[in-house]
Amino acid sequence: MRVLQQLLQLRQMREFNVLIALVLMGVLISLFTPYFLTVSNLMGVSRAFSLTAIMSIGMVMVIITGGIDLSVGSAMGLAGLITALCFDAGFSQYVAVAAGLGVGLAFGLTNGLLITAIGLPPFIATLGTLSIGRGMMYMITHGVPLTPDTPESFSVLGQGYVGPVPVPVVILLVLTLVFTIVMTRTRFGRHVYATGGNENAASLSGVKVQRVKLAVYVLSSTISALAGVIAFSRYLSAEPASGFGSELEVIAAAAIGGASLAGGIGSVLGAVIGAALIGEIANGVVLLNINTYAQQAITGGVILIAVSLDVLRNRMGGRG
Amino acid sequence: MRIGMKAAAAVMALATGMGAGAALAKDITVALVPKVAVPFFDDCNTGGAEAAKQMGVNYQWVVPANTQGATQVKIIEDLMARHVDGIGISVNEPKSVEGIIKQATAAGIKVVTFDSDSANSSRSMYIGTINKQAGVTMGNTMAKALGGKGEVAIVTGQLGASNLNERIDGVKEALAQYPDIKLVATEGTEDDLARAVSVTEALLRGNPNLSGIFGISQVGGPAVAKVLAQQEFSDMKGKIKVFAFDDLPDTIKGVKEGFIDGIMVQRPITMGKLAVEHLVAQIKGEETDPQNVDTGVTVVTADNLDSYTK
Repeated sequence: MRVLQQLLQLRQMREFNVLIALVLMGVLISLFTPYFLTVSNLMGVSRAFSLTAIMSIGMVMVIITGGIDLSVGSAMGLAGLITALCFDAGFSQYVAVAAGLGVGLAFGLTNGLLITAIGLPPFIATLGTLSIGRGMMYMITHGVPLTPDTPESFSVLGQGYVGPVPVPVVILLVLTLVFTIVMTRTRFGRHVYATGGNENAASLSGVKVQRVKLAVYVLSSTISALAGVIAFSRYLSAEPASGFGSELEVIAAAAIGGASLAGGIGSVLGAVIGAALIGEIANGVVLLNINTYAQQAITGGVILIAVSLDVLRNRMGGRG
Repeated sequence: MRIGMKAAAAVMALATGMGAGAALAKDITVALVPKVAVPFFDDCNTGGAEAAKQMGVNYQWVVPANTQGATQVKIIEDLMARHVDGIGISVNEPKSVEGIIKQATAAGIKVVTFDSDSANSSRSMYIGTINKQAGVTMGNTMAKALGGKGEVAIVTGQLGASNLNERIDGVKEALAQYPDIKLVATEGTEDDLARAVSVTEALLRGNPNLSGIFGISQVGGPAVAKVLAQQEFSDMKGKIKVFAFDDLPDTIKGVKEGFIDGIMVQRPITMGKLAVEHLVAQIKGEETDPQNVDTGVTVVTADNLDSYTK
């Protein structure tokens, strides 16, 4: 009886709908190809979407405050590149990883201060840092990938396994758990929701709105930088265009997962499942040998259908 | 005013007349202009500088600060003002340089394009890789490696890139002669390594009978090598034939480790060398009917990895 109640409660959750879409899509793909539902493919897909999913955790917190972070791809790419540069210069892996995460911190502080201290709209502030980050990557790489020698132990981060589960997926699961707790069980989490729900009301009731905003941009950039370090560990090659354009997929993941771009609504779990749905479709269109020129359009169409069904279901259930 | 114009025209005629007659090598100056500062063009510079030294002409290497069309226009203006005799250029934007190349050739300066062409300009010739031909070479090399039969797939970069699409056309043209080779998939990667890796993984899982992969853009080689190095696909190493483009460090590593069977490598040193040689020949009046030159690609395998020339 208790289990049933909990299941019913689960149904109430917004994430549940996205989860259903994820499962249905998996069933649909499996009907047409025997190669989808294998352990190695599912683990491969999970590893492929884990970086987008990790970045979407930071993004959804920013979106819940009513903001947006367009610079996540640049923070990711530049962090990987700086990590590679440190290896190239002969620093230890600890210094290299710390430097990479430091890039994220710097990105986040820049974004946060532009938005809170100067008062720039988040769209403009992070569009500016997005562009600066890209430019710096081209200045550093001159368009050529950087492939320094790295110790075996460093590649575990991107290439290793815990049992059958790739390490990046393990990191994703841990971050999902931690930030779900932060957002649902802590005062900081409540303040993030309050800031996006109604900034004035939040401010009047004692929430330090500016400080909350600064914190979510720092978190978003630092988490993206972590994704960049993991990506570099996976490929051991810092690409001049690494992370370019990934902001769209990350924002889409958060939105598919139920986050409202107007702020106040969204969840970490939803964003992660949203990223999984995008990754699943990307895998499916290749497995099914769908014409490459049609893949992007089909991906977009499928996402729109999935989210529309979610919205309609909610409306029929009497919730908005 | 009228007289002044006439005088100027006379001086110009005299100047160009002298230019055409400048048979003494030490009086000749040629300049090469790359797209931007990347290692590929360093090789062009090496070839150009060497050729100039051998022929005893003055040589300038002028690198644009960015890839905007206007920047190269400005550089050609400067070179005209400095009265160089010949200009070789790798064009960033074919359209934007048409006007200035016309002015330069009208002023008697010989202009050739290398690596990247502006086909509708008044340049005398283009020297570089003809991408379709490079694709044909790639397709034939693959067909030979497969013994004329098998399933193959193409991993390309950006779907709209004309140089990549020309290479794909060439590959398809070559494969058309082998009825037992079936092209089962063509996948775009947006030239993003991460995307290329996950696309290649899915490609291998979805097509277990695949026996050949073409890496059409420069991410193809590194991506396929990284995928085949993974535990999951270890039994495919050697079984699946892989040919790629461009000798990036990770692609060369893939050849050394046996994941990649061959790389189509362009010849930037040859491009630089030929650009200078043809310019000088045209300035001296020795070459009067220049034709485009395909510098071709070298197929680099484990056998000639240490000895190939560009």
